[in-house]
Amino acid sequence: MTQVSMTVNGALCEVDVEDRRLLADVLREELGLTGTKLGCSHGVCGSCTVHVDGEPVRSCLRFAVQAEGCAIRTVEGLAGEDGELHPVQAAFWEAHGLQCGFCTPGFLMTAAKLAESGAPIDEDAARDLISGNICRCTGYSSIAQAVVAAARALQAADPAPAP
Amino acid sequence: MKPAPFTYERADSAADAAARLAEDGDAVAVLGGGQSLVPMMNLRLATPSRLLDITRAPDLARIERSNGHLEIGAAVRQAQAEDSPLVAGAVPLLHEALADVAHREIRNAGTIGGSVAHAEAAAEIPTVALTLDAEILARNARGTRTIAARDFFLSYLTTALEPDELLVGLRFPVAGPGSGGAFVELAARKGDYALVGVAAHVVLAGGRIERAALGYLGAGGTPLRAPAAEAALAGVTPTAEAFASAAAQAQDELSPPDDIHASSAYRRRVAGVLTRRALAVAVARARGEDPAKEEM
Amino acid sequence: MSGTEAVPGFARQRWVGQPLKRVEDPNMITGAARYVGDLALPGTLEAAFLRSPFPHALIRGIDVDAARSMPGVVAVLTAADVADTVPLTDLVDLEGAAKTPRSALAAAKVRYAGEPVAMVVAADRYLAEDALELIEVDWEPLPAVASIAQAVADGAPLLHEGVEGNCYYRAATAGAAADAAFDEAAHVVRRRLHIGRVSSSAMEARGILAAVDPTSDELTCWISSQAPFQQRYLLSLALGLPENRIRVVAPAVGGAFGPKDFVFPEDVCVAVAALRLRRPVRWIEDRYENLVAAPQAKEQDVELELAADAEGRLLAARARFTGDTGAYSYSAPGGFIDFGLAAQSLPGPYAIGEYAADIAGVLTNKAPIAPYRGVGFTASQTVREILLDELAREIGIDRMELRRRNMIGDAPQTTATGMTYDGGSYGAALDRVLELIGYDAFLEAQERAREEGRLLGIGVTPFVEMTSMGTRSHLQSGIHIFSHDNARVSIDLSGKLTVAVGTCSHGQGHHTAFAQVAADAFGVDPADVSVIDGDTGRTPWGMGTFASRSAVFGTGTILKAAGLVRDKLLQVASLLLEAPVEALECADGFVGIRGVPEAKIPFADLAGAAHFDPGVREALGDPTLTAEAFFDTDPTFSNGAIAVTVEVDPQTGKVTIDRIVAVEDCGTMLNPALVDGQLRGGVAQGVGVALLEESVYGDDGQPLATTYLDYLLPRSSELPAIEVAHLETPSPHTPAGVKGMAEGASIGTPGAVINAVFDAIAPHGTAIERLPVTTAAVWEALQRAEVVA
Repeated sequence: MTQVSMTVNGALCEVDVEDRRLLADVLREELGLTGTKLGCSHGVCGSCTVHVDGEPVRSCLRFAVQAEGCAIRTVEGLAGEDGELHPVQAAFWEAHGLQCGFCTPGFLMTAAKLAESGAPIDEDAARDLISGNICRCTGYSSIAQAVVAAARALQAADPAPAP
Repeated sequence: MKPAPFTYERADSAADAAARLAEDGDAVAVLGGGQSLVPMMNLRLATPSRLLDITRAPDLARIERSNGHLEIGAAVRQAQAEDSPLVAGAVPLLHEALADVAHREIRNAGTIGGSVAHAEAAAEIPTVALTLDAEILARNARGTRTIAARDFFLSYLTTALEPDELLVGLRFPVAGPGSGGAFVELAARKGDYALVGVAAHVVLAGGRIERAALGYLGAGGTPLRAPAAEAALAGVTPTAEAFASAAAQAQDELSPPDDIHASSAYRRRVAGVLTRRALAVAVARARGEDPAKEEM
Repeated sequence: MSGTEAVPGFARQRWVGQPLKRVEDPNMITGAARYVGDLALPGTLEAAFLRSPFPHALIRGIDVDAARSMPGVVAVLTAADVADTVPLTDLVDLEGAAKTPRSALAAAKVRYAGEPVAMVVAADRYLAEDALELIEVDWEPLPAVASIAQAVADGAPLLHEGVEGNCYYRAATAGAAADAAFDEAAHVVRRRLHIGRVSSSAMEARGILAAVDPTSDELTCWISSQAPFQQRYLLSLALGLPENRIRVVAPAVGGAFGPKDFVFPEDVCVAVAALRLRRPVRWIEDRYENLVAAPQAKEQDVELELAADAEGRLLAARARFTGDTGAYSYSAPGGFIDFGLAAQSLPGPYAIGEYAADIAGVLTNKAPIAPYRGVGFTASQTVREILLDELAREIGIDRMELRRRNMIGDAPQTTATGMTYDGGSYGAALDRVLELIGYDAFLEAQERAREEGRLLGIGVTPFVEMTSMGTRSHLQSGIHIFSHDNARVSIDLSGKLTVAVGTCSHGQGHHTAFAQVAADAFGVDPADVSVIDGDTGRTPWGMGTFASRSAVFGTGTILKAAGLVRDKLLQVASLLLEAPVEALECADGFVGIRGVPEAKIPFADLAGAAHFDPGVREALGDPTLTAEAFFDTDPTFSNGAIAVTVEVDPQTGKVTIDRIVAVEDCGTMLNPALVDGQLRGGVAQGVGVALLEESVYGDDGQPLATTYLDYLLPRSSELPAIEVAHLETPSPHTPAGVKGMAEGASIGTPGAVINAVFDAIAPHGTAIERLPVTTAAVWEALQRAEVVA
């Protein structure tokens, strides 16, 4: 067992976990943040995507012990303190960018990084940039539209501060 | 798909890592980004009893240029290398190949050293290292050594590293004037392991090819060079015919696998096609042109 | 639905037809939606299954002692522990079909790699998997059959006793008339195509959490499910528990696409463990299990011949459909769902003349087949469309012209296979898709490109999809399963509506769409309607959601129940307003006298009066504002057309999809944005079937596509923006003219993609005999004529 101290969505969390426990499982179970999903456990589908120190990574391919001292951001950390939706969440809702919703948290974390980069994105570029996440329901068109809209919404404003 | 138990350790320097490997190299798996190792652990295809994380060792995470070489530390993240102006300027072939390594989210975690040490034959970075005659820098408790890339990849997923040795970095020659490279692969989907791919690097002098290097992924149990094809290109005027001739020769030097995605014969023939295309682009770049690379 | 006539059942139409944002989304986009793996019941134990590594083997012995005594392990179940559960079997009463029951855990024999033989229950999944490694099984491997040819060969090993030649079903329609037509035909084209085995592979794999309520003794099973009532019924049979002691709840469900409407052996084992241990037990399927052991789909051999006259008018079709069903004919309809429905649906939007079909289901040592979006419709419509292109080429006429010559008219009619269509827009859908894809301009561009050595191609496939599988649909398709659906509508004392339906949304947005329907039934805002589904404890009986049925059955049951409640509401208002019912109208949450704005009463007050006013009670007799209604209907048939343009690299065979256009006519649309989403999702799955996905097995029966590195789902980089358009031909026999939809694109897209590829490499496409059409397969076809430089 190892003590791990990390910041999750801005809050300091300390857990005592087996070395082999995946970051995804610790987020979901020890910390009760079940928004992050496990779709394949081998890094391909992207449902488990979270931000570690500002970069989207697969939480199914990382042990919690590796996250010592890191800042983690999950889908639960996108909305504002008052529940105000992040532009990327609002954009997905507006564009019908989800159906069953299982892949959605992973896509939102990937898309949040893209949108927060401050650069404009067109639909073709969006389709390329989200190609690391798999969706079985939507056919991706509405997701690409959502990413474009979110990037546009964030272009004028400052990007959200990294956690 | 949950991994078997292990104990986790962190190295704070290359020397520290080497000392830990010296204790019991066979039981220790080195953990870089984990993008190749952890899937295997989740499937219980790999069950190391000790995991040594090297990504917190600052001396393993540097990118430095000196004396006509670019040194990339083993723990440098693939995304970091992809974004690095040093890498783009000094080793443009690596910069180009990185865009085809899985997806950005994987590259954010995966390391340059990890990919080379894993030595997957269908992976991009080991093939670039082989093509550019990079040097692998290794270290154990007794000291350091340099392994030429052509001596490094022994067989499927097997390298020349001893059980107590750590891959600490790669040293690439800096691309000089008159040189150009191209990385071209064919995959079922963008970001997949290649069905087959080519890394080509040429140096032009006086309008002719002074020397050429051709490296292949997905064409054997390890990344491969095509020395006979390369030799045939030395000194020739770069024409479509020359490229086709080299491609035909290279095909004979490959031993691509059969699997559920493609036959050996298919991979061999496509390697020839990609060779011609890669050489054309590499030569154009060596001339200072900026050709559009055909969609693969 | 346009027009000024009030739709029967609607107080007014304001919401139906609007692309409202979904009410489901806020939970999903904030990570608050709870799927089975997210539910937190104190004391939950996690299960893992030991699965056969062999495709075919006897179990000589099994030793679980070491596993049982591992710290953290609470129980290990083997076949002996589930011996008094009733084996699972298909529900179809198909004459002449052999049954292939399967036990919850294999006792003496396993029939596919991945078949469960033991279950560990432990404190967490990590420990459970550790314990699996301690179980010892004495296996005696048997020879395995991994294909139809192997399975039916002389001397092939038998999977099930009594199922001779591994063929569990065979039927044929008489062929004399078809044979005669073939003898007379000016043109005959024929084709063999093997439809590859695929996995529905929803992003959430299977899962169940079972717990016994200590106070009521009720067993609750939260299941990633499409059909809670069917599952309650099946669990009741399997466990020997009466249904009134079982509750099945579908929490948020991460996609299903067909196979999640039945009960799996794993579900039975988990329920047994929960009952025995009196603790919650959960099994979350991982992706390896899902790709190896979960039901697979679609695999069949198709042989099709079309006979035509000199002008290309079809005279007859002869077909053979042989399904590779895997180790058990399992799931509600069994393997028939693929080869049987393929035979039924061959005509599509065409008059095909005489028709004769042989169908057969064969068992092999592979994962069992279950329905997957489009089921067998995909196979026949794909091969038919390929042959229509070939026929056009042979005769020398335009491929679309050939289709027009054979297309049926729009009026309701019955096909050669006994399917009674309820009207459509077959010609108009084809026209629209050709207009949107720019067919004529494309043909010119294709010519110019060919001169430059570039291979462009276009494929266009009109389709018909059978939807809303009620009883009569099932009977028409030869599957004798009856259906039963109800909804309950009620108005509460706050004046709000609650709609409880027996369908089970798992991504389709029913909570939004059905609120739109109920809102229009009462003239209220959808925000005032709460929709409940997916819970046997909270809704009336319903078959669930599958086979594109929910738009019709949801709308039908809701409008019927709503009508009963609205009648009662108007009666109450009539008493209180002292006006006849005919003079009243529902609008904006009030019932008022038409033309007298001040004379209106809000729903809340009417509900209060209905509940408690003695005068109202005496006048009405039964004052409840809750009603439940049953609804069943004839099948509805949506139609449409898919157009795909591709470029093929002649040197590598790589196929790049340039554009996809999907036109759909599903009658009255409840919410066009939801329809668009289903179309696009179906297109993507169709592309997967055509080019990328295959659950590959070796000749020895070993599964080879066991991770997402080998089972290739379409990613956004493989698909263009999917363009969609709609036509609306309301059904004459459903409330509001609604038809089902969602499978059409899965049915039509593979043929369109393949025809586009074949058009690009014509005539070399004839060399391709199996799906998926991979890059290597295209290249190899081109090699035959040395197209490659």
